[in-house]
Amino acid sequence: MNRSAPRSIDQYLRQLREELAGADSALIQDALYDAEEYLRAEVAAHPDKSESDVLELIASTYGAPDEVASAYRDTEVKVKAAMATPRKESKSPLGRFFGVFLDPRAYTSLFFMLLALATGIIYFVLAVTGLSLSAGLSVLIIGVPFFLMFMAVCRVVSLAEGRLIEAMTGVRMPRRPVYQGKALGFWARIGEMLKDPRTWTTIAYFILMLPIGILYFVIAVTGLSVSLSLIALPIAGVLAQAGWFGMGGVEVFSTAQPEWAFHTGFGIPLLGLAGVLLLTALMHLARGIGRLHAMFAKSMLVARTASNPAEAAEPKAALAAH
Amino acid sequence: MDDSDERKFQKELNGGLVGLVLLAVLAESDEDLYGYEIAKRLASANDGTSIFKEGTIYPVLRALSAGNLLTSRIVPSYSGPPRRYYRITEQGRGVLAEWKLIWQGTRNFVDRFTEQKIQE
Repeated sequence: MNRSAPRSIDQYLRQLREELAGADSALIQDALYDAEEYLRAEVAAHPDKSESDVLELIASTYGAPDEVASAYRDTEVKVKAAMATPRKESKSPLGRFFGVFLDPRAYTSLFFMLLALATGIIYFVLAVTGLSLSAGLSVLIIGVPFFLMFMAVCRVVSLAEGRLIEAMTGVRMPRRPVYQGKALGFWARIGEMLKDPRTWTTIAYFILMLPIGILYFVIAVTGLSVSLSLIALPIAGVLAQAGWFGMGGVEVFSTAQPEWAFHTGFGIPLLGLAGVLLLTALMHLARGIGRLHAMFAKSMLVARTASNPAEAAEPKAALAAH
Repeated sequence: MDDSDERKFQKELNGGLVGLVLLAVLAESDEDLYGYEIAKRLASANDGTSIFKEGTIYPVLRALSAGNLLTSRIVPSYSGPPRRYYRITEQGRGVLAEWKLIWQGTRNFVDRFTEQKIQE
């Protein structure tokens, strides 16, 4: 690809982002972070040279943006292939239906659904407290530092939520925070934060996590308790029949009432079977919800891949700010 | 063979070697190292020019870390974003020992053909 060699860190990062266009947004965030760490360290290591002089040599040391982009793509593919546990995909529909029990993602997704209530409450409290206190304190001098602190906490929590989601659902999420490298003034930085749509989608995600978490929790708990108790029914029936347990004198399954056995003799195994089917369906549902939720979280917490148009239009202004 | 062919051959060779070299560098080092520091060590060991493009070591570092061969911690930095310092794990040392044997075997095998003509 023929283009002018980058002359500033911002230009380099923009070209790298263009080269990675179409790649996973989380991968792009990591690649930009790594490049920024290197480039800033390189510039700092050569205080006698200007930024553009340092950048001139970057292609032969760090690599041109297209080389670096392809390195990230290649490594990502290799790591994904190496880390993915090969699953034996059963061909028969029945095998595929019950195969969900062998998929660790289904269990972790179910656990994530249970956990979502707790995290949802924490995120909701964080977002509502932070927003209302920021608004309330904005008339006072401590309003601004408080808002900045709130933003910093939001970024850390959003990264942590991303790591949790990747661990639970296997969907790639950022491994590095977003780094705002531009040396902007104090007020300009706050303005950038307020203008950045990601700030608001992150807060919206935190607030939405409470109702979503409640929903996931209810689905998981209801599904588990209903299906497991249905499965337990025939087992309890057999044990009670054998006289191994009763319920405080109440005869749970009495052979003394022949009509009971008649009505439920077939019913009990059928209910047990229904429990197994329900549990399997729940596992499928959990895995599906896990994937959907990861997509939702990615759209809310990870920056859009398109570069900021204002930044692209005024590279000189960004350069001058250094 | 023009320059781009040479670079392509070098790149293909580097595929698995970057991971081996990174593990070896971190195993040698007494202290934790971050990406830029590792890149500069590699470059200084080869008269200032690294065989690898330094940008290619970062994704490999993350891949090794994801495979539990390295652990890492984050330290704030004055010059840029917080740095991630890496340290080799016991598992990493085990893998390094295996990879070294594989590399020695490969090198001996290749040498048997490429060095023969010189001896004759």
